Amino acid sequence: MEPIRYVDALNDKYGAMGFPPYRWSENDSAPWTALMKPLSDCTVALLVSGGISHCSVAPFDPDARNDHRVDAIDPEEATDQYQIHDSYYNHADADADLNCIFPVDRLRELADAGEIGAVAGRHWSGFMGRTYNRSKVRDESGPALVASLKADGVDLLVAIPA
Amino acid sequence: MGLVARVVEESGIPTITVSTGRDITALVNPPRTLFLNFPMGNTFGRVGDATMQTKILHNALDLAVTAEEPGVLVDSPLKWDEDFVYFTGDATPEAIAKQKKK
Repeated sequence: MEPIRYVDALNDKYGAMGFPPYRWSENDSAPWTALMKPLSDCTVALLVSGGISHCSVAPFDPDARNDHRVDAIDPEEATDQYQIHDSYYNHADADADLNCIFPVDRLRELADAGEIGAVAGRHWSGFMGRTYNRSKVRDESGPALVASLKADGVDLLVAIPA
Repeated sequence: MGLVARVVEESGIPTITVSTGRDITALVNPPRTLFLNFPMGNTFGRVGDATMQTKILHNALDLAVTAEEPGVLVDSPLKWDEDFVYFTGDATPEAIAKQKKK
């Protein structure tokens, strides 16, 4: 099957819910930082935007807009200690197995097998969709995440939009 | 999320985005993307299928090594077993039929 055209589908859905029209950023070019190490020397972190939070803290707002919250995730925590609150996608499978969307166990196995150097000290969950104030990503929430990644010595970030 | 990847990349940390929304990713243009034509929420596959989850994660990590051109978007050859539609939160048979007509 052809890939779903989400730009139209999402605007139809959220327009009906009273959200203003959403325009994704359109970029003709992309930034680039070469990966200078082999994977077996890389510290790798995961970032997911699927409304995943630890059960000990407040859930994400499932219908969030302009929510720049980003939670640090303990890579050693059991995957059944998380909750998902996000109306943007069907997370029934992710509720049953977090690795469907946030493969923390699989990444740990790759580290144990020596295929990556290490799992970062923290993974990240946040940047729910419908971000209309995108300059804040560039000026505040994005740089704050960068500072944390650098503090953790992250060599490669796997970003998983949901 | 693609925008966040761009900010992180600009700061000097390489990123690999694993996407199920091809048109959105193509617009936002993160540095490197592996696209899976899977339902949103199943980026790494199915419940309990560790083999598939590992394969997709591995493919993404490998792309971080092999990609040479900013904005590269690679279509994974993996296929979802059945057709799927955009999830509206109202996945009644009627709602799915309506979406399919669009």
